[in-house]
Amino acid sequence: MATEQSSDDFERESRRSGPYVRAVRWMENLGDAAFAYLLLAPALLILGVIAFWPLVRTFELSLHADQLVGTGTVGEYVGLTNYVELLTGQRSALLVRPLIPTVTWSDQFPFFHGIQNPFTAALTVTFIFTIVSVLVETVIGFGQALVLDQDFRGRRWVRVAIILPWAVPIVIQGMIFFLLFQPNIGFLVDPLQNLGVFSATPLSNSVDSLLILVVADVWKTSAFMALLILAGLQSIDRNLYDVARVTGASKWQQFKMITLPLVLPTVLVAMLFRTIGALRIFGLIETVTSCSTVPSLSCLVVSAFSSRQYGTAAAVAFITAGIIAVAVSVYIAKFADTQGGGV
Amino acid sequence: MAQQSDTAGLDADANSSQGPFGRWASKAIQNPKRVYRAMFYVVTAFFLFTTLFPFYWLLVLAVTPNEAITSFGFPPVPHGFNPGAFITIFETVPLHIYVLNSFVLGLATTAIVLVIASLAGYVFGRLDFPGRRPLMLLILAVSYFPPAAFLLPLFQLFTGNVDIGLFGVAVSSPNLYNTPIPMVMPFTALFMPLSIFILTTFYGQIPDGLEDAARIEGTTRLGALFRVIMPLSAPGVATAGVLTFISVYNEFFFSFLMNDGQVASKLTQFFASQNNWAPLVQGILAYQGQYSQMYNLMAAASIVGVLPVAVLVVIAQEKIVSGLTAGALKE
Repeated sequence: MATEQSSDDFERESRRSGPYVRAVRWMENLGDAAFAYLLLAPALLILGVIAFWPLVRTFELSLHADQLVGTGTVGEYVGLTNYVELLTGQRSALLVRPLIPTVTWSDQFPFFHGIQNPFTAALTVTFIFTIVSVLVETVIGFGQALVLDQDFRGRRWVRVAIILPWAVPIVIQGMIFFLLFQPNIGFLVDPLQNLGVFSATPLSNSVDSLLILVVADVWKTSAFMALLILAGLQSIDRNLYDVARVTGASKWQQFKMITLPLVLPTVLVAMLFRTIGALRIFGLIETVTSCSTVPSLSCLVVSAFSSRQYGTAAAVAFITAGIIAVAVSVYIAKFADTQGGGV
Repeated sequence: MAQQSDTAGLDADANSSQGPFGRWASKAIQNPKRVYRAMFYVVTAFFLFTTLFPFYWLLVLAVTPNEAITSFGFPPVPHGFNPGAFITIFETVPLHIYVLNSFVLGLATTAIVLVIASLAGYVFGRLDFPGRRPLMLLILAVSYFPPAAFLLPLFQLFTGNVDIGLFGVAVSSPNLYNTPIPMVMPFTALFMPLSIFILTTFYGQIPDGLEDAARIEGTTRLGALFRVIMPLSAPGVATAGVLTFISVYNEFFFSFLMNDGQVASKLTQFFASQNNWAPLVQGILAYQGQYSQMYNLMAAASIVGVLPVAVLVVIAQEKIVSGLTAGALKE
């Protein structure tokens, strides 16, 4: 046995490496395209199982009735009934119960007094949240980017401070703003109430909560906006400013004539990114207000899902995906080309 | 924004003292740089205050005894001093296990993402093939879709309610609820695209000659990727890893819905427990639910939950900045 060890080892080695060597040789001989697809296979597989299949399946589920009894699996095929009933408000009775204990949002949004449909309410609330928070984030983020673009002592720590909220987990971001607006303990609630801005319990009031959610979102994500805009600012050719200075342009003129137009495409891309993010909002609302006073589209999906209204949940989810798909395709069509390089 | 707060700052100066301001103003007219400098400091102070104040508020709440948490004035200062909250939080809820679970989920996701995204980044960064652009756009599009659109089918899949046809036999999917898998897989799919873009940029910058040299030395194509290209792109790999980890630690949706909120009650049980994988999200919400009036505990738990990422941000800020901007804009 011992004497034969070396030749045995050799045999075993070559047998073991047989399939491996063959696999390597096979891989080496593949064309570039085939090799590319082989390496992409894991990524595409996981995206297929976790994203593409669920999207198709969500659409399929949305064509089936809710089945509230039994195992909670979906009911019979009903075509587009779920969509029609959602849009025409016939699901209000079903959706309101798990979502909003007392229907206060229509009272609290005087400008939407006529809306009795929870789906329309969710759509409206999501759009208002998105538009307002993205606009405010753009302004604040631009300001932060201009600060970070300067060279000064302590810049490193200012940058840490500005990006820190971005890294704070959503649940803690929600907790912070939950704690900031508790009645009786807050230094914020009382003065704001005296000014007539907030009610005594802002977190159970829809308008106040929406405002708080916007502030919370701006606090966390304007840093993201700032970093993208900063990248845009730093790609501007510094010579342009030298030329402007020589020709006597003031700082404000430099900003208006050079900085703003050159950084605008970047700002628009950043705004689109944040729009997509804001349209999906869920965790922050869940933590701050338990989705009860400010129902976003994702809140609606989760609440219908929790009460086992799978067909309805799927229909809302698919509409949400559709709305976001519009924003994504705007990005791809408008900006992906102009950014040059890869995609 | 910047302009508004600047003028506000200048007005305040004007009102406070006429003499020094007058001198300052005459100097400022001669040298406008001073005005910009002052404006800059006012704006910077404003941003520092708004971003850091919420953390200060957490600290005030955490060290104030709970019964004394009422009617804070402005600026809020702690009412009393009770650091015991930082111990109580671990006695009431096993917060350390929730954080540990988040770490394990984060590290597992990061490892998987780095391997898969490296393969894809190599393909997009170094190979030219038909369908390259549409495939990249397809991957990009996925990361934008709302998690809510994937929820129902994934929940059914991971709770054993989807029948999969295998060799003509319908097999039920395994019930994986409360295991790491229903969280790690969606995290991987959602955060992989950003890493792919970062790595595509970095891998694309490695000169062809280096890869060719490695190939002549006898490495395979994959060997060249893992032995030459990846090590040379270490900063990019680190960036992708840090961003993936922070994203998982941040995540809410699947962390909230793909487990029942339970964790092992003791650290020793952590290694034995197979079905208690609730992450930080559930730990923080546990204080909000069970100890709904214990504001000091909620604040203390939030501070403990933020510390790991705060440390990571301080250490890896360069990588975070370059990663976010590269991933979002370079492509």
